[in-house]
Amino acid sequence: MSQSYSPADMMAVAMARLIRNGEVVFVGVNSPLPLAAVTLARRLNAPDCTFISVGGGINPTVDKIMAATSTADLGRGSASIFDNQEVYGLNGRGGFDLTFLGMAQVDAKGRVNSSFIGDREKPKVRFPGGGGGPAILPKSKRVVLWRAGHSPKIFVEEVAFTTSDGNLERIVTPLCIFRKEDGRLVLDSIHPGVSRQELAEKTGFKIPNLDSAPVTPEPTQEELAIIRQIDPDNVRRVEFGLQ
Amino acid sequence: MAPSFRRAAEKGDIDVIENACPAVMASLQAAAFGLPFQCVAGFEGSDIPDIAPFARVKDPFTGEDALVVPAVRPDWAILHVHEADVRGNARIYGTPVWDRLMSRAAKRVILTAEKIVETSHFVAQPELTIIPEIFVEAVVHAPVGAWPTAVYQHYDIDEPAMRRYLDLSRTPEGFRQYLDETAAHDRVALGAAA
Repeated sequence: MSQSYSPADMMAVAMARLIRNGEVVFVGVNSPLPLAAVTLARRLNAPDCTFISVGGGINPTVDKIMAATSTADLGRGSASIFDNQEVYGLNGRGGFDLTFLGMAQVDAKGRVNSSFIGDREKPKVRFPGGGGGPAILPKSKRVVLWRAGHSPKIFVEEVAFTTSDGNLERIVTPLCIFRKEDGRLVLDSIHPGVSRQELAEKTGFKIPNLDSAPVTPEPTQEELAIIRQIDPDNVRRVEFGLQ
Repeated sequence: MAPSFRRAAEKGDIDVIENACPAVMASLQAAAFGLPFQCVAGFEGSDIPDIAPFARVKDPFTGEDALVVPAVRPDWAILHVHEADVRGNARIYGTPVWDRLMSRAAKRVILTAEKIVETSHFVAQPELTIIPEIFVEAVVHAPVGAWPTAVYQHYDIDEPAMRRYLDLSRTPEGFRQYLDETAAHDRVALGAAA
């Protein structure tokens, strides 16, 4: 590997590789990394996937990555307007094959808390709230969660409140990819250059296969070239700045 | 997330009803159609139905479990649109997101519009009218009215302004300063710059 790459590049590439050609893919709000992933996949490994977002388009033209992925700019180039009621209608009838969603906190069983920590009426920490997660996690055939951070406060043994639970398949972070297997998170792969000790220290639950899981294949020159072409201003890193 | 909201929620100054977008949408849909409640899909495994206004009922036709949420009929909806006439007809270009729904669910509607146009503009292509005049109580001409957020094809998000809002909002005093600064802005000049 002659070209250097950032954790954001690794995450976008890792998520793009999870997209299968022909799938109907939904991307949540404020998701520049999944937007980069879908845009990459549409140009490389999944040219015939269907891309839907809160922006109102079906297969819009995406020539640059934006931070706010609910913007109507994600309707540009689309042949129809598919508004948010349509999105939840399609979700309700099981129309999403793969969904990318952010989250505040997740536990060893893959349950998501994006609501609050502590007392409900006077919470210690107020999170953004459920969003679409509680309806999408059980209905989308596959769900990939992502977070541009990795700490024991994010990855906990057990969440005190479950905002959403369901068909979680992978979680992509700057350090690794988790996979849900038999109702528990296991390590799918650890990113190149990350030490297994660091990953263990930054994860609030025991990783059963910490030592045996493989290393994530590095981004290829082709993947990196596309990422840089669609996101020359490095918008995909914005979530890292907000940790 | 909005720092002032987070601060108020964590101090217990405001009551937060835990919920999720598709359930709120179903509540607004019920209101828009004059129904008492509506079914909502999903939520298996979520704790939200246990602490929010949800009810588990039997589908009377199949006997299956169903989750319902009550109608929510807001007193007001204030909606920003691309074009309106003085009677309250409005177009929204790009996605209306929830605006069409909110205009039907609310008891009363105020429009703020980037541009005031003639009624003949709407009559020429009535299928593009997202909000008809019969729901609308008042129309405000508000160019650059969505700043510092975006209006499709007019102006993009003003990122430096959003960062300043986030920085200042870390304290109540800062947020007041933000409001004062914002009130003093010349929005039309901002729009021209954008």
